[in-house]
Amino acid sequence: MPYNIIVLIKQIPDLELIKINKDTGAPILEGVPYRFENLSKNAVEAAVRLKEKYGGKVTAVMFGNEKGTQVMKEAYAMGVDDGYIITGYTESNPRFTARVLANKIKQIPHDIIILGNQSADSMSGMLASFLATQLNYPLLSNALKIEINDKTAIASEGAEKFVADETAPLPCVISVTQETNEPRFPPVMMIMKAGQKKINIEPLNLPVESYSKVLSKMAPKSERKRIIFEDMDKGLPEIVKVIKEVVK
Amino acid sequence: MKALIFSDNYDMAKQIMGRAMQDSQFTLMTTESTEDLLYFGAEKVIFLKGQPVYSCIGETLISEFKKGYDFILISSTTIGRDVAAYVSSKLNLDYIPEVFNYRFDGNKLITKRFSLGGKVVLEEESDAKILTVTPGVGEGIKSERKSLSEELKIPDGPIKVLAINPKQSQGVDIEKAEVIVSVGRGLGKKEGLALIEQLAKKVKGEIAGSRPVCLDYHWLSEERQVGYSGKKVRPKLYIAIGISGQIQHIAGMRDSKTVIAINKDKNAPIFQECDLGLVADLYKAVPKLIEML
Repeated sequence: MPYNIIVLIKQIPDLELIKINKDTGAPILEGVPYRFENLSKNAVEAAVRLKEKYGGKVTAVMFGNEKGTQVMKEAYAMGVDDGYIITGYTESNPRFTARVLANKIKQIPHDIIILGNQSADSMSGMLASFLATQLNYPLLSNALKIEINDKTAIASEGAEKFVADETAPLPCVISVTQETNEPRFPPVMMIMKAGQKKINIEPLNLPVESYSKVLSKMAPKSERKRIIFEDMDKGLPEIVKVIKEVVK
Repeated sequence: MKALIFSDNYDMAKQIMGRAMQDSQFTLMTTESTEDLLYFGAEKVIFLKGQPVYSCIGETLISEFKKGYDFILISSTTIGRDVAAYVSSKLNLDYIPEVFNYRFDGNKLITKRFSLGGKVVLEEESDAKILTVTPGVGEGIKSERKSLSEELKIPDGPIKVLAINPKQSQGVDIEKAEVIVSVGRGLGKKEGLALIEQLAKKVKGEIAGSRPVCLDYHWLSEERQVGYSGKKVRPKLYIAIGISGQIQHIAGMRDSKTVIAINKDKNAPIFQECDLGLVADLYKAVPKLIEML
């Protein structure tokens, strides 16, 4: 039985390329390119695999900005059929993001909504549950394995200490982890086709909600001694000394 | 201040109670069943019984909260995060996620958390009433007085749990280790682990690894992954071998007391985050180090 699957994807600044201003400790975000958020890739992979197994359609929705088209093209190359970018994202606020996404989701036919369980920039890990609660759908969280049986989703939830096999009626929200799958690299043909596909871009139609006042945003001070040796004969005895102080 | 705490993790329950004790009266709700939790200063401990489904646990929290609490503290675990968002939505209360430090300033709450993958600390002022807190937020302090104890059945909901299987674990908990020998991509091959094991034995340490080593190459199990997306460790000694030191990794080991790094690339960022560094080929340096210990 074919299913309408919505996958939620996210773009984030390339974290490794963010430099810190040495005088102020503030991050320098100008010119830092955006990239596909890690777990969003796992989510796309999970959605596409369900489509391959059961048939249906995968629609990607992103709350981001115009620069998100590159990420959406990558999602197309991975097997996403249709994509929407809602522009106007300003800051991490999962509850508000859930509201924006829920509004869009309600306009698209869907049986299953898939997203990553945490994103690599803020790690809040709350979007899936906010979204499910706002849509009044059950959430199968941190799903390691996903199966669909008629009108029911079956997933094994990977918590810290146990794996729980759970079922929920469709429509439902499913969040995936970095262990759920290994995203496949798309074939060249798919990458080329993806470039020509239409991306639907829509502006945000809700006033932005902020939930806090930022007092400071700075790199933590590192108090490390940073004594570096390039000569092994000098360095190793020092290392031995430090180890022996701790390990008695 | 009166706090309602939820944790499905024994260690974190103790840590959060230790922090709450500083400025609040508090109740603990937990899916753990260890009686010992009755001796960490809670007014009352509510032991939740039944299937650990986030929305159903959320409902029990909401009923308890309505009896008169000022704020809710929830441990940042897979279930905790789902519960927090559920409760925040249902009660329409503001929240701050992943808090590692908080204090009250009059009516306002001042919190600290990491942002941009661990690169910066975000200090915020808010009216948030629900926090998810990360390991290390406090330290459990034993109390003479025994808490009141209650049992409560988690109600059923639309999600059915068919089976619960404990995770296949090698029984290692690197979050508790005092010495960690950690390896990165620079190891080059899985066979290199034999050498690292010898060193770990010498220094009585646990072996851990970076994200690529655990998740991409599967040289080590996922429970040994140190990083922003893995375990946050705080040993007395952290020996980083062949680890370049990307922010993803640093965010997981930043609280280590002493850091030693061995890497052949002298420009590797790990040398900015270590106390003692050696620029060398690990396959030359580590055997010598083992010999000298």
